[in-house]
Amino acid sequence: MSGRFFTRARALGLFVASTALVASSVNACNVPATDGRVVETAPDRATFAPVSALLERRCGSLDCHGQASRNLRLYGNEGLRLAQEGDASRPSSTVNTTDAEVTENYLSVVGLEPELMSQVVREGASNPLRLTLMRKPLGIENHKGGTLFQAGDSQVVCVTSWLAGHTDAVTCGQ
Amino acid sequence: MRTLLFIAACLAATLASLSCDPVHDSAVDALGAEAPGVSKGPKHRPGQPCITCHDGSLGSPQHFSVAGTIFLNQEDLTPANGATVTLISADNNTAQAVTNSAGNFYVTPQQFTPAYPMKVTVDYTGRVRAKMTSHVGRDGSCADCHTDPAGPTSAGHVFVPVDGVTP
Ligand code: HEC
Ligand code: HEC
Repeated sequence: MSGRFFTRARALGLFVASTALVASSVNACNVPATDGRVVETAPDRATFAPVSALLERRCGSLDCHGQASRNLRLYGNEGLRLAQEGDASRPSSTVNTTDAEVTENYLSVVGLEPELMSQVVREGASNPLRLTLMRKPLGIENHKGGTLFQAGDSQVVCVTSWLAGHTDAVTCGQ
Repeated sequence: MRTLLFIAACLAATLASLSCDPVHDSAVDALGAEAPGVSKGPKHRPGQPCITCHDGSLGSPQHFSVAGTIFLNQEDLTPANGATVTLISADNNTAQAVTNSAGNFYVTPQQFTPAYPMKVTVDYTGRVRAKMTSHVGRDGSCADCHTDPAGPTSAGHVFVPVDGVTP
């Protein structure tokens, strides 16, 4: 087999692949996100907003999870802003968190541990401590930001209610 | 052998700069040299994240738990001289510090070590009280969040707005 054949085959493969890529991005409706995270059984986006508000307030300050470098990256009106190009957004208490920011927070939260998240949701949130998202603020796992949740407090109830599919918006707002 | 050499190199570096943390060193370097005519002391480097240097690590200058600079206006860097900064720790301990003519204030760990999250308000004589609605998660340098220009990752320098809430 000549090296030349290989090269041709490679080139052909590349062509096919890039055609597929172009085709798929033109027809982008049902392609997984480019970072390839797939959560089979995701908790609800529609009822996430009160949970997002809690996480923004408790975890999302600019010196903590309001940083683009964090795996759990949280946007919010008083923290990191999701900037559109040329946009002058800045953290401020006089504006609201945008819907796009809540969506980014949702994607960040469900994408942290996709398989475990799916499992927790399938189990009806009977064991939310499977998630690092819960263990860290509860101080069960080492957390640079310290212990911020206490077992059974309104914050734990809020996040767990969302994972279980019935967000307790009132408790989330406490 | 390699390890020994590394340790030796580190020791040498430590003796030379009293630091062996390249991330810390480059963060300090990034802040640049002292402004001409201002000596290293209470009025230097207004607007900078003081605790990047004043962090209590070996060989660092005096350790601060909370420090920063208050300016008068949003538009320019006129210092707010004599502003009172009130720090409220998560355990409800409070501390106050008054800014000097550079707008700088600082608190040492002996005076006050906050439990986070910490709340902050600023009072300026005859003017207003400016309250930070959000809290500080764990960072004692105001300028880590309050750098210029204001943008998606920063609230801009701390100022005492004219239309703030009157105490
Ligand atoms: C780039 C590093 C750096 C930054 C940033 C910095 N300092 Fe300093 N500071 C120093 C050094 C170095 C000294 C000199 C220490 C000495 O002389 O032993 C010093 C000295 C001081 C002193 C005198 C301390 C003493 O024990 O004599 C005060 C007060 C001070 N700085 C306040 C501040 C404040 C307030 C800020 C922020 C607005 C700040 N510094 C930002 C490096 C820094
Ligand atoms: C964790 C990041 C962070 C730190 C650290 C921080 N701030 Fe803020 N600050 C903000 C954000 C975000 C805003 C804008 C939203 C708001 O008001 O909460 C703000 C707003 C303010 C305001 C309201 C008016 C203005 O100037 O924008 C004051 C006053 C203020 N901060 C003072 C301080 C002081 C003094 C310190 C240091 C002791 C400090 N802040 C440290 C994030 C921070």
